[in-house]
Amino acid sequence: MNRSKHSFFHLLTVSSFVLLSHSVFAAKVTLEPSSWGLEEGKACVDCHAKSSAGLTHQWKNSAHAQANVNCLDCHQAYEDDADAIEHEGSVIATIVSPKDCGRCHTAELKQQQGSVHTKAVSIINNRMPALAEHFGSLSINDAGCAKCHGSKVIVRGDGTLDPSTWPNSGIGRINPDGSKGSCSACHGRHQFSKAQAREPAACTYCHSGPDSPDKSIYETSKHGMMYEAHKADMNMDSDSWVAGKDYSAAPTCVSCHMGAAGKMKSTHDVGMRDSWNLNEAVSTQQYLVIFADGEKRELSSSDPIPRKGESISKMDGTMGKVKAVASPKRRRAAMTKTCLECHSKNFANNAMKQFDEVVKLYNEKYGKPSRDIMQALYAENILTPLPFDEPVEISYWNLWHKGGTRARHGAAMGSPSDTWKGMADVGSLFYGKFLPQVRKVAGAEKGDALIKQYINESEHHQWLNHPAKANPILGYGKGSSNED
Amino acid sequence: MKINDLLPAFITRHVLFALIFGGICGIGFILFLIEFDHYTSTEEFCTSCHSMELAAEPYRNSTHYKPKSGVRASCGDCHVSEGVLSATWDHVMGSKDLYNQIFGPDYDDPVVNALHLPEAAFSARKWFKKRNSATCKRCHVKQAIYGDRPDTLQIHLEDAKDKNCIECHYNLVHRIIPDEKVFKQDKWNAMIEEEFGLEKGSAQKILQH
Repeated sequence: MNRSKHSFFHLLTVSSFVLLSHSVFAAKVTLEPSSWGLEEGKACVDCHAKSSAGLTHQWKNSAHAQANVNCLDCHQAYEDDADAIEHEGSVIATIVSPKDCGRCHTAELKQQQGSVHTKAVSIINNRMPALAEHFGSLSINDAGCAKCHGSKVIVRGDGTLDPSTWPNSGIGRINPDGSKGSCSACHGRHQFSKAQAREPAACTYCHSGPDSPDKSIYETSKHGMMYEAHKADMNMDSDSWVAGKDYSAAPTCVSCHMGAAGKMKSTHDVGMRDSWNLNEAVSTQQYLVIFADGEKRELSSSDPIPRKGESISKMDGTMGKVKAVASPKRRRAAMTKTCLECHSKNFANNAMKQFDEVVKLYNEKYGKPSRDIMQALYAENILTPLPFDEPVEISYWNLWHKGGTRARHGAAMGSPSDTWKGMADVGSLFYGKFLPQVRKVAGAEKGDALIKQYINESEHHQWLNHPAKANPILGYGKGSSNED
Repeated sequence: MKINDLLPAFITRHVLFALIFGGICGIGFILFLIEFDHYTSTEEFCTSCHSMELAAEPYRNSTHYKPKSGVRASCGDCHVSEGVLSATWDHVMGSKDLYNQIFGPDYDDPVVNALHLPEAAFSARKWFKKRNSATCKRCHVKQAIYGDRPDTLQIHLEDAKDKNCIECHYNLVHRIIPDEKVFKQDKWNAMIEEEFGLEKGSAQKILQH
């Protein structure tokens, strides 16, 4: 009874999700061309072709220029806008926010404003001060963290933009007009080239390095290998860019995470097709809750899942009415649609299964036990509440946030070397540093008890209980008469 | 021959003396005005009021105070018109600042000064605009603005052909203040409150005093 009710509910949410995705993803600008090409903005380029020739040159080569979209169309502002300035007799704003772009690109704005990218500041709001301030200072936040995650742009009382918060084109930037994100994070200004944004580099500008190693993962995947070899056949400039129809040489990040394939429309909601949360100490499968106002939030599969019409809290803490819920299964199905343009269903499903198994392995063998041990250490005041002042905290952080992320992302995107490197890093840290540090900080008795509870009794660490089991990998038995 | 024979009959000796005396007085007066205008245009004179010292602080860090060329513009070079009559007129009109300094708000107080600064900036900008940026042009000649960029001269000769300096160039010397059109008093007040560690809302009260 309960089960059938649940499946019916599931069907409902899935169908609304499908409906929603089809109605939202139309991307043509529907405004009348007379809505842009402001008279007052036509002369800007006369001066800017001289004062900032490079920028103007980029614009001249843009689709905007071809459509007669001029500087003021994007930079126009009202006098009472927080960041309005006077410039050559016009009222303008330096920052062109998603809300500004969305005056014409309405569909993209709607998709983007609910996406996980726009939450890039709020997601790490609690974590960032500890990382940035303990390992650096405010300046590393401004020039590092916030460059990808986004700054909260501050307009000072004299109308100037606070230099610690601007320039910034972080994906989750909080703009003076209240909108979130920055289109120029991916679409480099002032050309806003489609082709450029479809390049893996548009994503790997941020998704690279130790905590988001997707650049190296993609490059060492079969997809990346094919892309590198067949770049010229990618048809990147094409207006329509449907996988299998307009190109087939290789998928880029955009193809799977945002791109159109078959009947599936493209979307600017980048995280929509992600069924796992791979950027936590322990991965969970995640539901996507879509609110009536277009806002979205993720819920872990272990959280209570709301029904349509229910009110639950949104990411910003306010309450919102649930319009639809997409299950992890449905999100996985969307992601898999792109695969099917080149792969068989079995091929795609099995590849996903291999990925899922790595995530589960990581969770059970390393993620959960290390998390539980840390929680026990905090609960018993063995560790101070302050993060990173004890070596075991640094090991734990690196374990899940660096190695753990690499292993899970590696498996998601088919890089054998990064999957293994990540997991090997996790294992080395776990056995070589984390456990000895636990024993040291908790004392031998308490440390051994914790390790017994979470490690020795776990099926994943049974190999530790067989010290006599020989293997020549480290040279044991070399030179003895038993050697093969 | 007597001097009376060379002059018309109505110029008597007394008239002649009066003319010579009047002339000398007139020249003296003009010389006095020139010297007066000159002295009252100096930084030393202007900053003899403490409130002006506050305005001079950012000026002393500006390129108008320490330009590469060594040509320093003093207060009067920008804020007092050329020519003795115009300069005198500007000083007469400027005496209302003196009146306000004595009978108006306490501009010597840095907070009061900063809160009233935007009004001063807006009125100064209007003054420049009304005079077609005449005082800027004492030193700056459109045809000679070569600048650092290759096209700076071209921009000034073509795109800025019908514009005068202040229309594009403001916030060069004193504290940055937005254009009047986009100025937001509440944001300005909040900034000053934060800068001086004042209670929220206190700026408005100070302004109303």
